[in-house]
Amino acid sequence: MKSRTAQRIAFAVLLAVSCVVFLPVVSIFVILVKEGGGALTPEFLFTMPSEGMRSGGILPAIIGTLLIVVCAIAVTLPVGVLAAIYLNEYAKDNLLTRVIRLAIVNLAGVPSVVFGLFGLALFVMMLNLGVSVIAGALTLSIMELPSIITTSRNALSSVPASFREVSLSLGVSRWRTIRHVVLPNAVPGILTGAILSLARIAGETAPILFTAAAFYVTRLPHSLSDQVMALPYHLYIISTQIPNMPSKLTYGTALTLVLLVFLMSLAAIILRIIFRRRKKW
Amino acid sequence: MVEKIKVERFTCWYYDVLALQAITLAVHEHEILGIIGPANSGKTSFIRSLNRLNDLNLTFRKQGTVLLDGKDIYAMNPEALRRRVGMVFAMPLSLPMSVYDNVAYGPRRHGRRGKKRLDETVEKALVAASLWDEMKDRLSDSALKLSGGQQQRLCLARTLAVEPEVILFDEPCSGLDPISTAKVEETMLELKQKYTMVLVTNNIKQASRVSDRTAFFLSGELVEIDVPSRLFVTPRDKRTEDYVTGRFG
Ligand SMILES: Nc1ncnc2c1ncn2[C@@H]1O[C@H](COP(=O)(O)OP(=O)(O)OP(=O)(O)O)[C@@H](O)[C@H]1O
Ligand SMILES: [Mg+2]
Repeated sequence: MKSRTAQRIAFAVLLAVSCVVFLPVVSIFVILVKEGGGALTPEFLFTMPSEGMRSGGILPAIIGTLLIVVCAIAVTLPVGVLAAIYLNEYAKDNLLTRVIRLAIVNLAGVPSVVFGLFGLALFVMMLNLGVSVIAGALTLSIMELPSIITTSRNALSSVPASFREVSLSLGVSRWRTIRHVVLPNAVPGILTGAILSLARIAGETAPILFTAAAFYVTRLPHSLSDQVMALPYHLYIISTQIPNMPSKLTYGTALTLVLLVFLMSLAAIILRIIFRRRKKW
Repeated sequence: MVEKIKVERFTCWYYDVLALQAITLAVHEHEILGIIGPANSGKTSFIRSLNRLNDLNLTFRKQGTVLLDGKDIYAMNPEALRRRVGMVFAMPLSLPMSVYDNVAYGPRRHGRRGKKRLDETVEKALVAASLWDEMKDRLSDSALKLSGGQQQRLCLARTLAVEPEVILFDEPCSGLDPISTAKVEETMLELKQKYTMVLVTNNIKQASRVSDRTAFFLSGELVEIDVPSRLFVTPRDKRTEDYVTGRFG
C-alpha cells in the first residue's frame, strides 16, 4: 500500500514536470495565434512592406530567411556528417582527434554574437563576400557545426557494432559498410539533429546582424551575394525601432517565423518517419 | 590430407591481457574442426584471428603466423581474406532489411549486378543453408521477423552467398532450441563436401556430434586436439578429462 502511494506521488510529480515543459510551448503558440493570427493574410505573406514597414507584407524577410536557412543547412549538414563519420568510424584516439573534439566542445560554448563578429571579419571582409546571404549562411553553418557533428556522431555510434562486424566479415570494405549499413541506420538520428539546427539557424539574429541582414530592402534578392531581410532581424527591428508599429503585424511576423520553421522541419520529420520504419532492431 | 589453415605459435593480447598462448594447429580441408573450452579460454579470440576481425580492436596485438593455403593471412588484404574466410556469429545477426537483401548483401557490395544473377545466387545460398523451402515465399519479409533458428541459417546463407572457402562459427547454436540446433548441425554436415569449417561450441555433445577433430582450449592454451572418439573417451590430458566429464572448475 505504501509503495503504491509513493508510486502515485512519483507519477504526479513526473506529470507535473512534463506539463511544465509542455505549457510554455503551448502558450507561446496560443498567444502568437491569438495576437497575430489575424495578420496572416496572403497580402501579408506575399507582398513587400510599405509605409516604413508599418503595413504591407513581409515577403522579403520570408525569402531572406528561407535562403539563409537552406544555404546554411546545405553547407553544415554534409560537412558535419562527414566530420562525424571521420571521428566515429575512422579516427583512432590520437592527438589530432582529441584536439578536434576539444574544439567542438569549445565552439559550442561560443555566444552567437561572437560568431557574428567572426563572420564579419572572415567572410564579409577578408573573403570579400560583403554583407550577403552567403556570408550569413556560412557564419550560421559554422555556428551549427558543433551540434551537427555531435548529434551525427551519437547517431552513428548508436548503430550496433555488430552490424559493422557482419558487413566487414563478408569482406565488404569499411567505406561500403558505412555507406550501406551504418549511415542508413543513423539517418533518423542525424535528421533529428538537423531539425534542431534548422530551427536555431532560422531564429538566430546575432550571427546575421553584421553578415547578411538588411534593415530594409526595396527589391527581392537576385543572387546569394545580395543583402536580405530576415524574419528574426525584422522582428527585432519592428518591435524596437519602429514607433507605432501595429502589434498585430509584430505577432504575425513571429507566427510566420514559427510556422516557417515548422514547415521546413516537416520535410525532415517525414524523411525520418520513412527511415524509422525501416529501422527495427 | 591438405592443411587449409595452418596456425603457428600464435599468441595474442588485448592491451596486456594474454588471450592466446603459442597456439599451433592445422585445419584440414573439408573437415569440421570443433573448438571447446570454458568461458574466457580464448575460443572467440582464436577464430576471430582467422579472418582478422580482431584487427578492429585497437588494443589487439599478435605474434606468430596464420597461413591460408600456405600464405600468411596477415600479409593479405583483409577484405580479400574475409571473402575467403566467412563467419557466422553467436547471436543471429540479421541486418535490418529483407530476407533477400540480407543474402544479397555481400554479392551486391562485391559488385554483382543484374536481378537474374542475384536471384540465382540468393536461391543457391538459401538452398545450401536448408532455408529455401521455408523462405521462398517470404523473401521480401523483414529478416527480423524470422525465428532465431531461421535467422541463424539466414546468416549462414548470407555468408555462403559470398562463396567463401572456410566458414567460422562462433557458438552458432547458443541461443537456439534443440530442433533448430539439429537443423543447423545437419546443414553443417551437408556443407562439409565443399567447405572447411571451424566450429566453436560450448556444447560438448555438439562437438562430438559434428566435428571431425576437436580442440580443447584452456586459459588461452591448446591443451589437446584429437578425433572426438578419443578426446571425449580417452583424453591424454588430465585437464581435458576433467572438462569433458564435467568435473571442471
Ligand atoms: N575485446 C576484448 N578486450 C579485452 N579483453 C578481451 C576482449 N575479448 C576477449 N578478451 C579477453 O581475452 C580472453 C579470451 O577471451 P575469449 O572471448 O576469446 O574467450 P572465449 O573462449 O570465447 O570465451 P566465451 O566462452 O565466454 O565466449 C579473456 O580473458 C577475455 O577477458
Ligand atoms: Mg566466445
